[in-house]
Amino acid sequence: MKRFYLLMFLIALMWAGYSHGADVAPTTHEAMVSGQARSVIAASSSVQENKVGIGDVRASAVVGESPDEEAIDEEEEDEEEVMGEISIADPLEPFNRAMFQFNDRLYFWVVKPVAQGYKKVVPESGRTSVKNFFTNLGFPKRFVSCLFQADFGGAATELGRFVVNTVWGVGGLLDPAANKELDLQRQDADIGQTLGIYGLGHGFYIVWPVLGPSSLRDTVDIAGEYFQYPFTYADPWYVGPSVRAYEGVNSASLRIGDYEALKEAAIDPYVALRNAYAQYRQNMVKKKEKREAPAPVEVKPAQRMFQ
Amino acid sequence: MAKINPGAIILLIFMMVVLCGTADAGGPFGPPQPLTKDSGGIRTAVGYWYHEDKFSNDTDHVIKQNQVYSEVAYGAGKTWEVYGRIGVSSIEIDDALSSTRPSTTSSKSDFEDNWKFFGTLGAKGFYPFNEIFGIGAFVQGTYFFRDADDNVSGTTGGAPYTMELRMTDLWDVNFGIGFQATLWRDTKLYAGPYVYYAEVQVSPAPVISGIQLANGDTTLRNKTNVGGFMGIDVPIAKGFRLNVEGQYSERFSAGAAISLVY
Repeated sequence: MKRFYLLMFLIALMWAGYSHGADVAPTTHEAMVSGQARSVIAASSSVQENKVGIGDVRASAVVGESPDEEAIDEEEEDEEEVMGEISIADPLEPFNRAMFQFNDRLYFWVVKPVAQGYKKVVPESGRTSVKNFFTNLGFPKRFVSCLFQADFGGAATELGRFVVNTVWGVGGLLDPAANKELDLQRQDADIGQTLGIYGLGHGFYIVWPVLGPSSLRDTVDIAGEYFQYPFTYADPWYVGPSVRAYEGVNSASLRIGDYEALKEAAIDPYVALRNAYAQYRQNMVKKKEKREAPAPVEVKPAQRMFQ
Repeated sequence: MAKINPGAIILLIFMMVVLCGTADAGGPFGPPQPLTKDSGGIRTAVGYWYHEDKFSNDTDHVIKQNQVYSEVAYGAGKTWEVYGRIGVSSIEIDDALSSTRPSTTSSKSDFEDNWKFFGTLGAKGFYPFNEIFGIGAFVQGTYFFRDADDNVSGTTGGAPYTMELRMTDLWDVNFGIGFQATLWRDTKLYAGPYVYYAEVQVSPAPVISGIQLANGDTTLRNKTNVGGFMGIDVPIAKGFRLNVEGQYSERFSAGAAISLVY
């Protein structure tokens, strides 16, 4: 019976989305730096949009003086207006920090050097085509998620994109569906987002080794994606992981510098990344709830890391 | 300067092509003027092509193909374009396996194989006379990556046999000139002559002397080298275009493709 109550309590916690509430007690460390980190993320985003040097942003984040301070504050307010105060419970913080360190080392010691070498060999257009191919391959996940969200327009758009890009996009290497005339934009839909739309909260923050930041809810998405990824069913067994590793390296080669910029600018990169993740995921759910098409082109650096 | 009736030119070209054309080649040539954007861009297409041609060594053989392909092209200025195709094709050669002697029997007469990969590379250039008329030239080559093979069994001199006929290195190269008229709503009507060469190596194992193409290793070549083509390219919607083309020689080939310009 005790187990039953415990289970019910856990489900109730998740369903209530307790991590979204403002009453989540942040850790002392988080309380000290989280606000700063958010401004750092906003600032690092504005680096991309306003072509401000990273050094300037870092200085403004740390010292708090900048000619662009007002602009950053305004942007911050706008962000908060849209998303409100978003935080995520982190009861596994020691474990998560260890995994964060592991992933950080993995990135700097393995992924980045390989991606840099790959970048030197393969031109950007080629790498973008590879990215397009893998994006096209992710069609089942997005299509099914749109259906589960009762977003039939989105599902039809995804289906149209898949057909056009597969047939006229040389098997997905090109993305003609996104051109001005067709304007079939990618639907950023996944299982975690679907659960969020159904009212399920983040649960708690968890950093998976290799896979990176996630939450209890979005971990379901990782499992779901595994089964909807076509190469999962490739034979022999190592084809799937190898293709995923290649996809990861290709993806990393197109965004070298994003993570570094965030890390350099943040006082506590772990917290910065956690908050960015929570905001990004919450934003995805809210956008879908409002039936707004997610902005597919200009994605902020901090957010791009989760795509 | 005397006015030239454009309809008469087109009719003249078509008649010239039909009357002198006696050969055929692999795949459509498309309109002489590249469809890619003026500022430079990509065009992709998927298409189906039914192809017939007459190959010969000592005897004539009709070769038939059903090709499905995907094409990607890059060009600029509406004056030049390079393109590549990849596709699969069926291959049928009439009477390749039929018996030539009463003492030899054969279980089938036609050579047949399916799903053979091929690739095509081409380039075209276009010179506009004015907003309506223009002339273009192209070169296009096709190569079949995979060998085609078929088996036949029967008896020769009373002894049973099973023979495999293999066709390797099927390729062709085409060069042509196309005249084009751009009509209403960017519809392009085009026609022109072309020359081409094609060949395929044929190897039987074992050699069966009473079977048409099984007398030993041989090379089949296209019977004649000149042909003519005619087609129309129509915009459909949202950057999509439909291209329908026919090529005439001793045999008639035709196909259609839907392309997307972006």
